[in-house]
Amino acid sequence: MKYQFKGHDEPFSLAKEEMAELLTDGRLLVNNKIAHASKVGDTWWIHYDGHTFQFELVEPGSSATDDDSNLSAPMPGKVLELYVEVGQVVEEGETLMILEAMKMEHKIVAGKAGTVTSINFQAGDQVEQGNELLEIEEDE
Amino acid sequence: MTISKVLIANRGEIACRILRACREAGLATVAIYAQNDTGTIFTELADEAFLLEGDSIASTYLDQSQILEIARISGADAIHPGFGFLSERADFAQAVIDAGIQWVGPSPEAISKMGDKMTARITMRDAGVPVIPGEEIEETEEQAALMAIEQASHRVGYPLLLKASSGGGGKGMRSVDDPSQLESAALGARREAIAAFGDGRVYVERLLTGSKHVEIQVLADRHGRTIHLAERECSVQRRHQKVFEEAPCATMTEEIREAMGQAAVAAAEAVKYEGAGTVEFLLAPNGEFFFLEMNTRIQVEHPVTEMITGVDIVREQLRIAAGEPMSCPELSIRGHAIEVRLYAEDAQNNFLPAIGPLSIFKAPEGPGIRLDTGVRQGDEVTPNYDPMLAKLIVWAPNRTEALEKMRRALDEFVVLGCTTNIRFLRELCDQQEVIEGTTDTTTIDRIWPNGWTPSVTEQQKQSALVVAATAESLGLGKTKLQVSAEQNGPVSPFQIISRRFP
Repeated sequence: MKYQFKGHDEPFSLAKEEMAELLTDGRLLVNNKIAHASKVGDTWWIHYDGHTFQFELVEPGSSATDDDSNLSAPMPGKVLELYVEVGQVVEEGETLMILEAMKMEHKIVAGKAGTVTSINFQAGDQVEQGNELLEIEEDE
Repeated sequence: MTISKVLIANRGEIACRILRACREAGLATVAIYAQNDTGTIFTELADEAFLLEGDSIASTYLDQSQILEIARISGADAIHPGFGFLSERADFAQAVIDAGIQWVGPSPEAISKMGDKMTARITMRDAGVPVIPGEEIEETEEQAALMAIEQASHRVGYPLLLKASSGGGGKGMRSVDDPSQLESAALGARREAIAAFGDGRVYVERLLTGSKHVEIQVLADRHGRTIHLAERECSVQRRHQKVFEEAPCATMTEEIREAMGQAAVAAAEAVKYEGAGTVEFLLAPNGEFFFLEMNTRIQVEHPVTEMITGVDIVREQLRIAAGEPMSCPELSIRGHAIEVRLYAEDAQNNFLPAIGPLSIFKAPEGPGIRLDTGVRQGDEVTPNYDPMLAKLIVWAPNRTEALEKMRRALDEFVVLGCTTNIRFLRELCDQQEVIEGTTDTTTIDRIWPNGWTPSVTEQQKQSALVVAATAESLGLGKTKLQVSAEQNGPVSPFQIISRRFP
């Protein structure tokens, strides 16, 4: 199985035999050490060997993995919130829009820093899969 | 006057500490809490808990008339202020006394004398204790205050420190290395002072570098006894806030302890002090010490003194407030204690406060370990209050073993869902200065001049990734936490009745 975590270029692939051993109460055993795991939002918080780690999970097909400057709807749904306006400068990883589909919220995240050049849907609008939601132009 | 029912005019960790001491002393307790503290531990430790109306700190934990009204309704005959909030407000102490309620603390006169840094300095000078060059700025209007600060800076000299006159806890405090930074630092200090204490007056003081922050715990009762409980060292500070405290001070000599202790007792007697208080000093490398200030309340770091002296300071406060003689025997020091303050903050990012749910909160256990906290797993850390989550205190027969125990305890401490300084504290324990006990107030800035980053290995990171991927693939993310958020409503009694208990 492959998992894409934010800040990691390559998806992390996990073979079944490499999996940590599940204990009770959110604890897992890996390399003979007990780790604690807890998911808050899309982020896995891991305590291992005295250190605390945060790994933000990027959903498969999420816009953040697209290198394309176009941000298209990964699924049919409704625009729940719009956080940016045309002309706004955004950071890489900034949440631009929230889509709702199947009662699940899905963040549309800027794949790179730049300026918002167009917004094609407003809050409340229905979108089809593949619809281009907004455009970001990379700053020179 | 005896006391039977104590209202705790505080929240969180220190409210828990006091509530437990009251319970042990057989005293009834009243908690007060703001809406956003609903369901937290301290509200449950009290016999009665009253909701404060209002949505700001000023209209809740700082609202004197509302608190006094709750005291009246509940029939409390004593008020313990804890630290922070109203603990060093002489007008509140007076209002409590005027309402016929016992104030657990020193007299309003002692609070104002020591709370006013200028008067405190004069009092100390008269008692023969050296003081640091510094001046009080009386002007309250902003432009006038800025001008007065500028003028004072020439007499005090650089580097200097701006402190909130009615302050504490590092709020309203700025260090200034040269004149070009003075104005913005002064504006910032005033702004924080007004927000935190409702009083924008600042105190300008020379910054003595290379010194240790050493303080003496004092206790005084109404039967003419004023004693000291030796020193605590609290040099290790970030942003002028203590993070690592210990007792005794590693470099203390019997002579300096004796002299400092006597100076502290003299200070307390000079203001006819009653209850628990702390006299803070800067201890220079040559053994000279200077009076910093006196805190007329229980202090955050009081547990380390309790661990090495065997004195329950809060219990003594209650005893003294009830007019009884304090119960402590002659001072005897046993072993070594260290406290670290667990903050919800990002140590990697200039110690910025962090928020988030405490989705996992597992504290270390075992002999010699004490945890003073006001939070538990499932609580939400919000930006409403101070980001201190807990105090982890260890005791061992000697300093080396105390440090070893602290390392072990911090390794066991698991907090997930909210960024904390646990790893920072853990790596602090490995620093040469900390090991040798030669820390001073600039230690953190000197060790990590460009900020701290954790020393994590690639192998540790890989293992953690394996855990994250495994947890995700096993669907562990669908936790009870999210479920419980949806089940906020009252639980049907029938649900409980039909439940089978093992």
